[in-house]
Formats: sequence, C-alpha cells, structure tokens
Amino acid sequence: MKQGHNKQRRKVVKQVISAATLALVASSGLLIPQRLLAHWPREAFNAKTIEDALLALVGEAEQLNDDSIRFTVGSPPSYAVNGASVPVELETSLENIERVIILVEKNPQPLAMLIEPTEYMVMPFKSMIKIAEDSDVMAVVRANGQLYTTSRSVRIDVGGCA
Amino acid sequence: MAVQARDRIRARANGEFTTVRILLAHPMHTGRGMDENEQLVPAEYIQDIRCWRNKQEMLAVKCGTATARNPYFAFQLKGGEPGDIITVRWVDNLGAKGTVETTVT
Repeated sequence: MKQGHNKQRRKVVKQVISAATLALVASSGLLIPQRLLAHWPREAFNAKTIEDALLALVGEAEQLNDDSIRFTVGSPPSYAVNGASVPVELETSLENIERVIILVEKNPQPLAMLIEPTEYMVMPFKSMIKIAEDSDVMAVVRANGQLYTTSRSVRIDVGGCA
Repeated sequence: MAVQARDRIRARANGEFTTVRILLAHPMHTGRGMDENEQLVPAEYIQDIRCWRNKQEMLAVKCGTATARNPYFAFQLKGGEPGDIITVRWVDNLGAKGTVETTVT
C-alpha cells in the first residue's frame, strides 16, 4: 500500500518537473524562433563577400561557367533606373536542380536569394531584388552535384540601399 | 508605403504547366535605410517563403535583405490542373507570418 503511494508520488513529481522545464524553455523564447529559422542560413546571408557567402552555402566546390543558364538582370537587360527594384529572370535547361543562388557583388550583404526548388518546379523563375550600385550579379545553379555559374554586370541609376 | 496592401497570388494552368505569380505585401526594411526623421529603420524582411500544391511542397525561397520591397515571384510548376490549391506561407525575421492561398484556374 505504502509502496504504491510512493510510486504515484514519484510519477507526479516527475511530471511536474518536466512540465516546468518545458514551460521555462518555451517562455524564454528560445524554442519558437529556433524552430522557425532553423533552415535560414544566417552565416551565408550575413557574409560580406561573395566568396564567404558561397563558402558558407556550398563549401569549396568546383565551379563551371555555363552557357545553359539564361540570366537576365534589369529591364532593359543590364540596366536599371531604380536599384530598389531590379527584375531578375533565370532560365536554364539543366535538370535536377538542387539550389539556385543569386548574389550581388557590391551589396553590403551579397547573398540576395536562395531558391530551393523541388522536382516539380520549372524555370523560368522571376523576382525582384535590390542592388546598391553598378555591380556584377551572379547566379549559381547547383545541379547534379555540380555548380554552374553565370554572371551579368548591371548599371544602376539610383542605388537601392540594399 | 505598402502597409495596407494584401498578399496576392495568381495561378493558372495551361495544360503542361501551372504558372504561379506571387506578390507579397511587405516593407522589407534592410536595417540600413533611414526614415523621414533620419532615424535608422530596424531590419524587417521576409526570410523564408514556401509554396505548396495540394499539401505537397513545391518550392522554398530564402531571402536576405536584398529582396525588393513587396517581393514578387513568378515560376512554373509541372503539371497541375484547375482546382488545385496553391498555398504560400512566409515568415519574416521578427517572426511575423502570412499565408495566402488560391485555386488554380
């Protein structure tokens, strides 16, 4: 009888402790942002140069210059009046794309966008980015375990304060 | 400013592909811009955008500060037919979230 009572008490104490721990972790605000942002590569986005950003994202890898990527920046191509909103369009005939990375060389934080498509997505991909000043814009496509890069220079009239 | 605007999404199937266009309403402050009183505007930008079709994930886009204000994305999905549900969810660096959904036409 007494033993049963003790067991019951132990269980209750244990539950109270684990509930208290959970509440503490949750209220400290650590749990939620960590889970939400777990997949956001902070290091790569905060990198100050293209090399650092690429290193953080894909590590050391051989890069191939590739003409099968059609990459358009600005409208008309390679020119934009307003750097705060520069259209980019990317099309490629490559298959099995794992990642597409868009980098702007002269931006304070060069990594602009990281696209992780599934097999269901098809190019072209269009979006708008900010570009601080005249700069090279680089697109890196990781497909079949290889990196394909292409680069365009773009002239900006009014900087986008990126 | 685009504070009052809503997130918008259009999806259209044309046989082989479904074309999806997304326009999110977000100021995308980089943390480097000044407001009218010469005060730095704190960073507030979308970090993660995900797109589903009928609960199956199609695409994830991670954005840095260099994505333009009111981010616009257009892309195509293989297959698809009218009636499919396309869902887009975004999260910004302050934890704000948004969901926008449409039916393919």
